[in-house]
Order: sequence, then structure tokens, then C-alpha cells
Amino acid sequence: MSYTTSPLAAPHARPDYDRALLWITILLLGFGLVMVYSASIAIAAGDRHTGHQETYFLVRHAAYLAVAMLAGFAVFQIPLRAWQEAAPYLFMFGILLLALVLIPGVGREVNGSRRWLSLVVVNLQPSELMKLFAVMYAADYTVRKAAYMDDFKRGFLPMLLVMLLVGGLLLREPDFGAFAVITAIAMSALFLGGLHWKQLAGLVVLLVVGFLLLIWTSPYRMQRIIGFMDPWADPFGKGYQLSHALIAFGRGEWFGVGLGGSVEKLFYLPEAHTDFLLAVIAEELGFAGVSVVLTLFAWLTLRAFAIGKQSAGLDRYFSALVAYGIGVWLGVQSIINMGVNMGVLPTKGLTLPLLSFGGSGVVANCAAIGVLLRVDWEARQVQKGYTL
Amino acid sequence: MSIALNPFKAGSVANLFQSGKRTSRRDDVLRLPVWRMRILAVLLLLWFLGLLGRALFLQGLNNEFLRQKGDARTNRVVEISAHRGMITDRNGEPLAISTPVEAVSVSPRDLEIAPKQIGQLAGLLEMDKNDLSKRLDQTQRDFIYLKRQMPPEHAAKVMELGIPGVFLQHEYRRYYPSGEVVAHLLGFTGVDDNGQEGLELSCQDTLAGKPGSRSVIKDRLGHIIEDVASIRVPQEGRDLTLSIDRKIQYLAYRELKAAVTENKAKAGAIVALDAKTGEILALANLPAFNPNNRVKLNRNTTRNRAITDIFEPGSTMKPFTIAAALEAGIVTPQTPIQTAPGHLTIGAATIHDAHGEGVLSVAQVIQKSSNVGAAKIALSLPSETMWNMFNHAGFGSVPKTNFPGEASGKLRPYKTWQPIEQATMAYGHGISVSLLQLARAYMMFASDGEIKPVSLVKLEAPQPGVPVISPANARAVRAMLEMVVLPGGTAPRAQVVGYRVAGKTGTAHKQEGGHYAEDRYVASFVGFAPASNPRLIIAVMIDEPSNGQYYGGAVAAPVFSHVMAGALRLLSVPPDAPTQNIIPPENAPLIREVA
Repeated sequence: MSYTTSPLAAPHARPDYDRALLWITILLLGFGLVMVYSASIAIAAGDRHTGHQETYFLVRHAAYLAVAMLAGFAVFQIPLRAWQEAAPYLFMFGILLLALVLIPGVGREVNGSRRWLSLVVVNLQPSELMKLFAVMYAADYTVRKAAYMDDFKRGFLPMLLVMLLVGGLLLREPDFGAFAVITAIAMSALFLGGLHWKQLAGLVVLLVVGFLLLIWTSPYRMQRIIGFMDPWADPFGKGYQLSHALIAFGRGEWFGVGLGGSVEKLFYLPEAHTDFLLAVIAEELGFAGVSVVLTLFAWLTLRAFAIGKQSAGLDRYFSALVAYGIGVWLGVQSIINMGVNMGVLPTKGLTLPLLSFGGSGVVANCAAIGVLLRVDWEARQVQKGYTL
Repeated sequence: MSIALNPFKAGSVANLFQSGKRTSRRDDVLRLPVWRMRILAVLLLLWFLGLLGRALFLQGLNNEFLRQKGDARTNRVVEISAHRGMITDRNGEPLAISTPVEAVSVSPRDLEIAPKQIGQLAGLLEMDKNDLSKRLDQTQRDFIYLKRQMPPEHAAKVMELGIPGVFLQHEYRRYYPSGEVVAHLLGFTGVDDNGQEGLELSCQDTLAGKPGSRSVIKDRLGHIIEDVASIRVPQEGRDLTLSIDRKIQYLAYRELKAAVTENKAKAGAIVALDAKTGEILALANLPAFNPNNRVKLNRNTTRNRAITDIFEPGSTMKPFTIAAALEAGIVTPQTPIQTAPGHLTIGAATIHDAHGEGVLSVAQVIQKSSNVGAAKIALSLPSETMWNMFNHAGFGSVPKTNFPGEASGKLRPYKTWQPIEQATMAYGHGISVSLLQLARAYMMFASDGEIKPVSLVKLEAPQPGVPVISPANARAVRAMLEMVVLPGGTAPRAQVVGYRVAGKTGTAHKQEGGHYAEDRYVASFVGFAPASNPRLIIAVMIDEPSNGQYYGGAVAAPVFSHVMAGALRLLSVPPDAPTQNIIPPENAPLIREVA
């Protein structure tokens, strides 16, 4: 390529990247850092494992953010062409990691879930990386199999089998939330690529039946479902976490009790700084705060779709599908997390993208934003007449 | 740049919903139809909108329900303990104070304890390790006291272990600086700071105050994180100022203890009254207990014998018999009474004197403590007259000090009296009194015939007395009582250097199962000084002295003398007999008495 200066280096000219997307990301990351600190102060100060340091999670999250932004910047340098070539291998690597997690002694178990790989300094959560790999793989698959999209055997079945394998691994951890997100990514790619509506309908029926079956057969998931249906039936047992999340929303009212003023985060609400960060936001900043977060995530999702449409218009189908996939990923994951927080979806163990505490999560999310910016940048270069 | 920031301008998000020019080409294998993307985008947007509606419902519309649920879990009413009032002596010296201590409690549900720490914790709490583990294992419970009333510095060591789920609560512990010296009067409080015995019990309402309460928000571990409102302000307990003078009390206790030890007595009691006001300046008992260490308490040591126990007083009753006869006009101090041959038979019973004295004046009957003389005088009186005297002296009714378990003594109605009973009552048998009643009754001789109510609380203004006998007769009996401590009387050892002393000894056989025991006695002495203008009344009772001596004049009178000497000095009472005292040697023979 002939255009060699960094796309981030010319602030006064018409930008070569999507400023809105970058600002939404920075806003969410910064806001997340503040809220993670607020939500975790009491937990960190009261826990022996953190050495009673109030800033335990703040310091770690800040470090994760630094790593994540570096990762995002690095990912921005990688051309989509390279991603497309590497997609199948990355996906296989991801499956390998998911299998490794399940090996006793290699995978680390926390709260009954085996989701982490111990990498000396930090713990890696392969399912977070797998979401990015799934986006790449699904896009590449859809482009490769474009001619067979109407064909069940050659177009749909291979993807179904791969998803069953990934799903099987994820459910063994168990990580129901990651499974839901990855399924959504894969199915969206097929749907956007032109999957026949009959196959789609069949898939939907299959998914619904499968989900119900999973829920009925596993007491762990069953328990979570019951807690979600009516948290007030057993508010101190199965409905404990959700009832406290809802109380946090109620206490927040329109403008919240003020930053730092949450009562529910004081040991009442479990996982306040991870899965239930939105509940703390709702209590401290009220409906106003929740609305801002919702708007930012909706905007982020729509930006991803807009970037995808731009590339699709330029016949850059892999890029477009990657952008759509990332939009679906971040959109669906934030919807599920917020839905769980508000008691409209069963508890999943999914974090709020870009906001919640968690190293693997923010690194994977920032990498995704990096890819998204790259897709946009490449499209703009093409529009300007440059060849890549 | 504004194009990218505004989602509703061309080329950005709004563009999503305009059909693209190049996406409908038919020759492309992959078409990525725009309508599919739109469906997906709309679906996601609808979810976001739904969530916004849900948040609106939870936070704006239905929040009252959720807030109530939240308040039910986080808002608590806590009690603010009111500080228990201090008990002081009449000069403001503290006798009972509440000191802040800590209660160590645990919330087993939140407990995170390493096995090693159980041992450390057990050591600091002075508990058995297995016992402790068992208590900590009650994981379904929210709250268990591990140890109460721990000194703050010890409790701090427990907290240094840093065990989550173990926490402290402030409480108060009653501390008695004077220990066993005032123990019987003050009593003690229980672990919840409520009075259990003595004045702590009877003055509970004054001392305790009223606990307040406030509404707070607590975190799940029980820490108060926010004060919401004060529901009731605590009313601090009021201080109580006793009539006791701590210095006289110390002196009285010390002398009593020395006498009980020396005479190997079972028990003893002493009361010191202000003859002018009726205030109790000292009141001590033995055996005593340490109120600061209540591990092994029993009724034998905690009983306030001077107020709650009754005994047959013996000869200390004789002055009342004489006073009744003087008031009735039947005798004068000089009236001769024939006491020979030293015994008097009434019906089937015979009254004995220790040794026959022949003809004695009424005054000498007191001085020599003649039973026969007293009985003869009593028998010359109508039983009603004698009963009236005893009754007015306060026998048979409680002294109204408000002390728990005050004894009223036994004074039977005169209509049931037999002559022999009237005769023995004359010298204090067949009638039971408490030491406090006895001391109070002597006030009539010390203050020209008036008896004032006794008080354990310092009086702000003098209380009116009730005249019982005429001032002339009171002085007459006082003069007789002065003779008792002179050579030829039964209690020369009651004398005090520099002061004129008046008093009466008592040596009574103890009753055991309806009979009088031959070798068990209650020795007593009641007296006052200075005789010219009495200021202090002191009554001493020694129960079962068993080291050879048992006469009141030998066992009880020295205690009286020592305490009176010290107390008069402490009160700066001017001497009324600077040089005229005749102190007999310690081994001088005593005039004996029985009864």
C-alpha cells in the first residue's frame, strides 16, 4: 500500500477512522474503570485474598485496560486479508484452548466453573478469545460457502457440526453465556450470508428445543432459571443474587444514590464488579446512568453494522461479515448481561463488554474494536482510491 | 468528522436503512442482502429499547416495591445503650462505675477461619478449643456471643487475628473500686448491666436510664454504614450519691474483719449512723465477696446481714425496757431493784443473772446488765406499754431504706404475751431484730427522744424525726449507758480516748431448733459518742465468736471503740472528755453478763 503514515496521526484532516466508535469505546472503558473501582472497594477491602487492599481490582483493571488498548492498537495493524487466511487455524487454536481448560490440573476452577487457563501471571479465559475467533471463522466460512448457502448438506451442516463441538466444550465448563454469544455470532453470519429461511426456521426450533432440554437436564441451569422467573419466591436462596440486583435498580431511581453510595455492593450483591456491574451503575447513577450505558451499547452495535454495510457496499464481504459479527457479539453480550441484571433473562455468567472487570474480556473486546476500526479504515482507503 | 459522530447523518448509522446501490447485483455469488442485515439490526435495537423500558419500570415506576424490599434487608434499628449512672459515696468518691468493654461475637455464616486460628482464638478467649469449634460450626446462625465483657485491650488482640466474621460490640461492665468493702450494700449487676442485688437492684430505674434507638443501614456483614435517623435519644442513667462515707466504711470493714478473724467468728456486721440525720455512714458485713469477680457467689457471702438478717439481740434491748418504765413513771434511775439471789422463777422457767448483785438501782441494772432486774421492771409494766415502746422504737417493722430484702424482725402482738415472755423480752430474748433496726432505735437515746428515718442516700435536707420518749428520759438512759463503759460496767473496752461514750453490750445464746444452744452466742454492742452531744451511733454484731471470748464487752465493744475513735476524728468532732478517761489494761477482768 502506498499510504504509509499512521491513520491516527492526522487529527486535522478528514479522519481515516471512525471517531465515534473510538470515542464510544474510550467512554465505556473509562466509565468501566470508575465503576469497577466503586463496585469493588468494599469487596476488596473485606477479603483476605486481596490482602484487604481497596484498590486491588482498580489496579488490576487499569493494567488490563492498558494491555487491552495496546492489543487493540496492535490488532488495528493487521490487514483483514491476514485474518481471513488465518481464520480456520485461529478457530482450531481456540478449540484446543477450550479443550485444555477442561483438563484437570490445567484449567482453573472458580465457583464451580472451569473457565480459566493459568498463565503464571494472569489467568486466560479462552472462551473470550473464542468469541473473536468465531467471528473470523463464521465470516470466512460464509464467504467460502457462499455458493451453497441454500444447500443444507454443504452449506449448513458443516457449521452445525462445528458449533455442536464448540458448544459441547463450552457447556462442559460450563459457560452457557459464551455458548449463547458464539451461537448468535455463527447463526447471524449464516443468516446474513443468505441461509434459506426453512433451514433458519428449523435451526430456531432446534435451538429452542435444545435450550429447553439443556435447562431441564442440568440442575445448575434449572436453578438459575427458577431464580430468574420469580426472584421473590426464594429471595434468600435461589433468587438471592437477582433480588439484590433488582433492589439496586429500585434504590437508584432516576438519578441514583450518587457515585460510591451503593449499599447493595456492600456484600449483598455477589459479583458486583463483574457480571452485576450494571446493577451498581443503576443504584449509584440511576435511570440516567443506565440510559447512557444502553445508548452507548446500542450506538456501538449500530456503528459496527454501519461499518459492515460500508464494506459490503464495496464488495468486501469478509470484512463486512466480520464487522456484522462483532456488532452481534458486543450487542448480544451486552443485551444478555443487562437483561440478566434487570431480571428478564436467566443468569448467564456473562460480563458487560468493555465495562466489567476481567482481563481476558476487555482484551478480547478491545481487539474486536481494533478489528472494527481496521475494517472501517480499509474501506475508507478503498473509497479514496487506494489499493490495499 | 461530524458525519461520523452523528449517527443520523448520511454515511453513518442512518444510512443503514437506505438501500445501498451496489448490494443488489445479481451476478455476485455472495449478496449479503441488506434486508437481512436490517432485520438483525432492528431485532437488536428492539432488545435495547425493551431493556430501556424495563429499566424505566424498575427505576421510575415500580421502584417503591423494590426500595421496600431493599430497606427490609439493609435497614436495622439498633439500640444505643444508656450509660449506667455512677454510685458515689457522700463526698463524690466513686463506688461503682461503668467502664466500656467489648463483647466478642461471631457470625458463623460469614466466618472464614483457618484451623490454626481456632487455636489462637481459643487461647485469647480463654476457651476450650473443641468447645469453640463446636460453637463456630453453627453455620446457619447469624450471631453468637463468644465472650462478653472483655477488656478492650484483650479484645483488640482478638481483632488483630483479622478473622472475617468475628467482630466486637461495645458494652459496659460495672467496676467496683472498693471491692468487697462496700460489696453488700452496692450489690452487683448482671452481664446485661441490670442490677441483680443490693442498691444496684433497688435503684435500677434511677441508675439504668433508658436505652435509645436509631435506624441505620448495615452492610451484609453487619457493619453500620449509614445513620438514617434517631428514633429515640438514650436517657443516661442518673448518678446515685449514697450516705456512706468511704473512709468510715473502710475503717468499719477493716475493724470488723480483724475482730471476726481474731474471734474465729462465723459472721459479723457493723452499722454506723449519723445520730443527727439518720444517714447510714457505714455498713459492712462478713463474710464478704468481691463484686468484681463474680465467678463463685453464694447467698452466704452476698447476704447483707445488717439489713436482711435478724437475731435475738439480748441485753442491748434492756435500755428500751427501762425507757418504757421511765416513761410510764413507774421507776426513776435511782429506784432500787432487788436482784438477789441472782435468779427469778416465773411459772416453770427461771431467769438467771451471771452473778448475784443484791440491790441495784435502775441505772445499775443497765450498767451491770442484770437480767433479773430488767425482768422485774418489765413485769411491773402492762404488756401494751412495753409493746408500744418496742413498736415505736421500730422493731417489727421495716426501716424503709428501700434495700431489697429488708428484714422487719419479729415482735409478736402484746395480747399473746405470757408473763415469762414479757420478762425475757425485757433483756432481748423472744424478740428478733436486724442490726440496722437496733442502731436506728438507739437514736432515741442519742438525740433526746427522737427517731429519724434511716437513709442509705445522702440527704439534701434534714428529715423530721418522731418523738418517742421525753428528752429528760432520753438523757437519763444516756447517762445509764455511759456508766456501762466506765469501770464497773460491762464494756470498759468500748471507751474512746478523748470522748465520752455511751452504749450497751449484748451476749445472747443462739437459738437452735427451738432451744438455746449452750455454747453459741451472738455478741453485740450498740453505742454512741460523744455522749454530751451524740454524733455517731455504731452497732456491732459478731456471730458465734469461738476463740474463747464471747461476751459483747470483749468481742464487739473493741470494734466499736476503734471505729468510733477513727470516725470521730475523720468527722472532726471536738472531744468532750479530754483527760478524764480511764483506760483499763487489755487483760483487766470483765464484769460478766449473760443475755
